Amino acid sequence: MKMIQANNLFKSFGQHTVLNDVSFEVNKGEVIAVIGPSGSGKSTLLRCLNGLEEIDSGIIAIESEHYADKNHGGKDKINLKEKKNIATKLGMVFQHINLFPHKTVLENVIEAPITVLKMKKNDAIPLGEALLEKVGLLDKKDFYPSKISGGQKQRVAIARALGMNPDIMLFDEPTSSLDPELVGEVQKVIADLVKEKMTMMIVTHEMRFAEEVADRIIFMDEGRIIADEKPEKIFYNPEHPRIMSFIENIAMRQLIDKD
Amino acid sequence: MENYLQYIYDSSIFILKGSILTVQLYFVTIVFSIPLGIILALMKISKYKFLKLSIGFYTWVFRGTPLLLQLFFTYYGLSIFGINLPPFTAAALTFVINYSAYLTEIYRAGIESIDKGQYEAAKALNMNYYQTMKRIILPQVVRRTIPPTCNEAINLVKDTALVVIIGMGDLLRSAKELFSRDFAVTPFIIAAVIYLLMTSVIVFFFKKIEVKYSIYE
Ligand SMILES: Nc1ncnc2c1ncn2[C@@H]1O[C@H](COP(=O)(O)OP(=O)(O)OP(=O)(O)O)[C@@H](O)[C@H]1O
Ligand SMILES: [Mg+2]
Repeated sequence: MKMIQANNLFKSFGQHTVLNDVSFEVNKGEVIAVIGPSGSGKSTLLRCLNGLEEIDSGIIAIESEHYADKNHGGKDKINLKEKKNIATKLGMVFQHINLFPHKTVLENVIEAPITVLKMKKNDAIPLGEALLEKVGLLDKKDFYPSKISGGQKQRVAIARALGMNPDIMLFDEPTSSLDPELVGEVQKVIADLVKEKMTMMIVTHEMRFAEEVADRIIFMDEGRIIADEKPEKIFYNPEHPRIMSFIENIAMRQLIDKD
Repeated sequence: MENYLQYIYDSSIFILKGSILTVQLYFVTIVFSIPLGIILALMKISKYKFLKLSIGFYTWVFRGTPLLLQLFFTYYGLSIFGINLPPFTAAALTFVINYSAYLTEIYRAGIESIDKGQYEAAKALNMNYYQTMKRIILPQVVRRTIPPTCNEAINLVKDTALVVIIGMGDLLRSAKELFSRDFAVTPFIIAAVIYLLMTSVIVFFFKKIEVKYSIYE
């Protein structure tokens, strides 16, 4: 089944075209890594998928249901209520984590199931605990976010997104704000989701991780998808000169970092 | 000596009786202006231009003119138009409107200081605007605005003394009466001590709330 289908997406901020005729598909259980230079529109793409930004034109279908359908300058043909229903199928994890600081770890996870899904607190608590167990943080359930490490926070954020029982998870540079030694624990949680066949799109600068978990790599450059291929192709046999120089650059930087 | 102690005691009782009204006015103002400030702040950040502008005008006028003038206006000024409010009503109305103006700006700034990532996280979890404000944003705003709200609460204690000018008997006026009768400064000192006690209680109360809300920091 097609989980995401995006056709001819355009998005501008003022004069600046950030998504320039973007089309792609994601099938059920697929893991897509989105890579590319800074400012190429990776975050914007994810944000348009989950409704944090509105596309200017194009069609987005989630699980074959139209989620956004817009002609340039026209109105979105999908009404807000439908949009909201479809949006619950997407979970999102942010670079800046954005846990709710005034709520404990467990409260962060059960907040949306209770307020949005109208789950009873008594049902939400075991759900929240199970999700925290899954990300290895059950022992921290009564801690406030300020009292746990960055890596632990991001794992809570993943549990929080999973609390809404999404079919698709979107990750926007989930490890970029973390100290290097905390990256692994978050990647491990994501790798566990890969094993469970969760459909995912992951924006990342961690090429090794992308290669490891992704079925396909989408390479973005100046608002366009310039490659949508298997990792082997992108990393070892790139055709596009932009990709070649990008990969070389990253490889160099990682060599320097190792020293 | 004994006589003097008796004098202090009697004066204190007399002044405290005067302060009942001060305390009543104080609570009426607090109870109405804090929720009103929050509601108006939410309206001021809304996308409706007319609301924003009207509330902007309101806070501009009431923060930009003396409270004393506003008090004159509601008590004496309105009577020209045939509206004769009893002194307490006039005072309470003026104080609520004036303090709500200050609190509106405090809470508006508080709301704007919350990271936009909080809204995005809530939206990504499909929370609607009302749920986001009630459960995510406002609890953090309340926490952040405890210190400036406490400042206003202390100012209010002192501002209540202004009601003397519309002929109301309050704490300060009782002290003044004793002064005129006895020609002694003791009543003023007693009044000062009572004001200090009241502000100290308020500071203590806000510290308690601050501690309660700061567990998450
Ligand atoms: N809300 C906004 N208003 C104006 N410009 C924006 C906005 N959001 C993003 N942009 C611009 O759009 C372009 C693409 O941004 P985007 O965040 O999608 O890039 P990215 O590929 O995620 O980059 P990075 O790797 O640095 O995260 C950038 O030039 C950015 O400055
Ligand atoms: Mg980005």
